[in-house]
Amino acid sequence: MLRYSISFIVLLSVVSGFAQDKPIDTQPKDTVVYKQSYGIRVGLDLSRIIISSLDDNYTGLELVADYRLTEDLYIAAELGNENKTQQEDVYNFNTSGSYLKVGIDRNTYANWYGEQNLIFYGGRFGFSTFSNTLNNYQIFDNNRYWNPEGFATASETEEEFGGRTASWIEAVLGTKVELFPNIYLGASIRLGFLFTDAQDGRFPILFVPGFNKVTWDSKFGVGYNYSISYFLPLYKKNRKVKKIAAEGEEQ
Amino acid sequence: MKKLGYGVILFLYILGAASCEKDDICVEGNTPLMVIEFFDINNPDTPKNVPKLRVVGQGQTVTVNTSADRTDLNKITVPLKTAEDSTGFFLISNSASNEDGFEIGNIDTITFNYARLEEFKSRACGFIITYEDLNGSLQTDTDNWIKDIEIIRSEIINADSTHVKIFH
Repeated sequence: MLRYSISFIVLLSVVSGFAQDKPIDTQPKDTVVYKQSYGIRVGLDLSRIIISSLDDNYTGLELVADYRLTEDLYIAAELGNENKTQQEDVYNFNTSGSYLKVGIDRNTYANWYGEQNLIFYGGRFGFSTFSNTLNNYQIFDNNRYWNPEGFATASETEEEFGGRTASWIEAVLGTKVELFPNIYLGASIRLGFLFTDAQDGRFPILFVPGFNKVTWDSKFGVGYNYSISYFLPLYKKNRKVKKIAAEGEEQ
Repeated sequence: MKKLGYGVILFLYILGAASCEKDDICVEGNTPLMVIEFFDINNPDTPKNVPKLRVVGQGQTVTVNTSADRTDLNKITVPLKTAEDSTGFFLISNSASNEDGFEIGNIDTITFNYARLEEFKSRACGFIITYEDLNGSLQTDTDNWIKDIEIIRSEIINADSTHVKIFH
């Protein structure tokens, strides 16, 4: 009953407020509108460039881009090419191909006035076309009777498995921080789920450009990137009033 | 800042989980051995021990490492070559050496011919060999202790069951 009485008193005071000719505004609203930049951000993955220069068996390049759709929603894409040679215990193979990932990012970071940073989560659909080359391989055999020194070499001639494709979905978690005006440094980690059957055929898919290592008997893979990108502002839009009110209540 | 903290924890967790790999050790398969069983020629269903059996691969100077040497046995496993379509074995019954170190047992020579199939077993194992179209031929000499060879299974994909029966 106490709650209802209080509500009733509040209602009464509001009603009495309407009785005045002009409401007394003790806290006048800030009339300065803060406009936010909308545009396209393009950049490069730094990790793939650095690993390419350090590792003789790897060359890779990834272009990253995103386009701001709404207050906190971005269309994002990565386009890349990778060439990687791997030496396993009993075989040596190369994977070479290109990939495209398209999806969305959602910013969860409530920026302070003037900030345009992102802590985001998102999803991607990835697609890659590539070819494998089996450079050489030995036969795995625990018994050392006929080959005391090691595994018997089965082939030294290159065998190509061309025209391979793979598709996957990816969950992304990352951040983009404005270092200098319109220059952003980003980092993201990715958890992928491969749709393609990797263990089909004579030589299975062990690495997919963009997806990274395909683990045996598992559909999951992990990846990351560190990007540096440039934000090209195209237009400005007001920050949503509703959002400001909601944030005001939170603080 | 709280959200950033969760992000960092998740980041470290996934990195840690990704660095644990079971893909480095081969447990999924192996090139199989061939199983030979010895039976009585007069009573083909009864296993019969070969006295003091010694098995040496043709072209090798040591006995096979998969069965006991100079022991009475009715079942042995032998490794086949993974690089050639034919493997020969000296099967020596009543194996013993004289004072000069020469073999005085009864030496019979069997050559096994087969086709090899390469199979990619797993990331860690790579390719293994399985065999098919197995057949064996006994080299006749003046005193063969082996009377007959019968191929029970012409495909060798594991060493769980007998592939070859030898009657003596």
